[in-house]
Amino acid sequence: MTANTIYTAIFLATCATYLCRAMGVFSAKNINTNSPVFNWIKCVSIGIISAVISKIILFPSGILSETESESRIVATIVTLLAYFLFKKNVIFGIFAGVTTFLLMNFYF
Amino acid sequence: MFSLISFRQGVSHAFGVPALGLGSSMFAFGAYLKSSGFDLFQSFASSFFTFALPGQFVMAETMLAGGTFLNIFLAVFLTNARLFPMTVNLIPIIRHSSHSKWKYYFLAHFIAVTSWFNMFAVHKQLQQQDKFDYFLGLGGFLWFNAVICTMLGFSISHLVSHEFLIGLVFINPIYFLIMTVSNLNEKKLTTSVILGAVFSVVLYQYTPEWSVLIAGIASGTLGFFIFKKENNDS
Repeated sequence: MTANTIYTAIFLATCATYLCRAMGVFSAKNINTNSPVFNWIKCVSIGIISAVISKIILFPSGILSETESESRIVATIVTLLAYFLFKKNVIFGIFAGVTTFLLMNFYF
Repeated sequence: MFSLISFRQGVSHAFGVPALGLGSSMFAFGAYLKSSGFDLFQSFASSFFTFALPGQFVMAETMLAGGTFLNIFLAVFLTNARLFPMTVNLIPIIRHSSHSKWKYYFLAHFIAVTSWFNMFAVHKQLQQQDKFDYFLGLGGFLWFNAVICTMLGFSISHLVSHEFLIGLVFINPIYFLIMTVSNLNEKKLTTSVILGAVFSVVLYQYTPEWSVLIAGIASGTLGFFIFKKENNDS
């Protein structure tokens, strides 16, 4: 893997990513916040983000794939429970989730 | 006219949990790039110019797997396609007549899941003319933080254990999850989120590359049309 290959890959990733953002700016020019299209796109955006989250948790790549799927699922449930039990405290939610995840993977 | 106060408020908003949520994964990403044969400047360049973590991972993984340049471009494009509807959604929220059109093309570089959710959480409390500079501070700081954390991960990841690194990577999806549920104030959004998660799992069995995009479009469209009355009332 040469340096040129890596730089070309980074360049292509940058172009592919910025193309999505630039097309978004271009397409947004005639959309106002009260229109049905705006509300539909918000639903699609949050639907895609939800799909991304479930893919990362259930079918991860990289070092997360070295962990047990049960640990990721249980830790996700614990995250949500802690978040709501502690008055929607983000720090508590994350702390409880990561602690559960690490304990289940490396200490039990 | 540039509002330093709004910009600072945006930076202040990003400083803390949002920066931690994104920074922890960027740190782990820096460690991953080091183990994959990148050098420090290449790691810096990836976060500086791309700033969209799932796509950055896909870029490195596709390249390491021996994919062609066309493979890399298409894989990253599909992975980061979520940025298109997110940008279409965010720009009308921020838009103000005092800013020329080209500035939004610059600002768009800072749109990512963390900045998008955090901007939506506060935008109703901001004056319309302040939103651009506020988002510049919020998104710009998250971007800056992401670049620094990638370089830190590359440089000092040997000082932390492998288990700790895995824990850092897990922070990102659960932070996204918390951000998602904290924004569910309408039935159509709740429905879209639940259906998006279910559809993604089912579709992954048949088409892993397209599962996220199809699941998101299908779930969002269903959520929108099922609660059409709610849309008309709001």
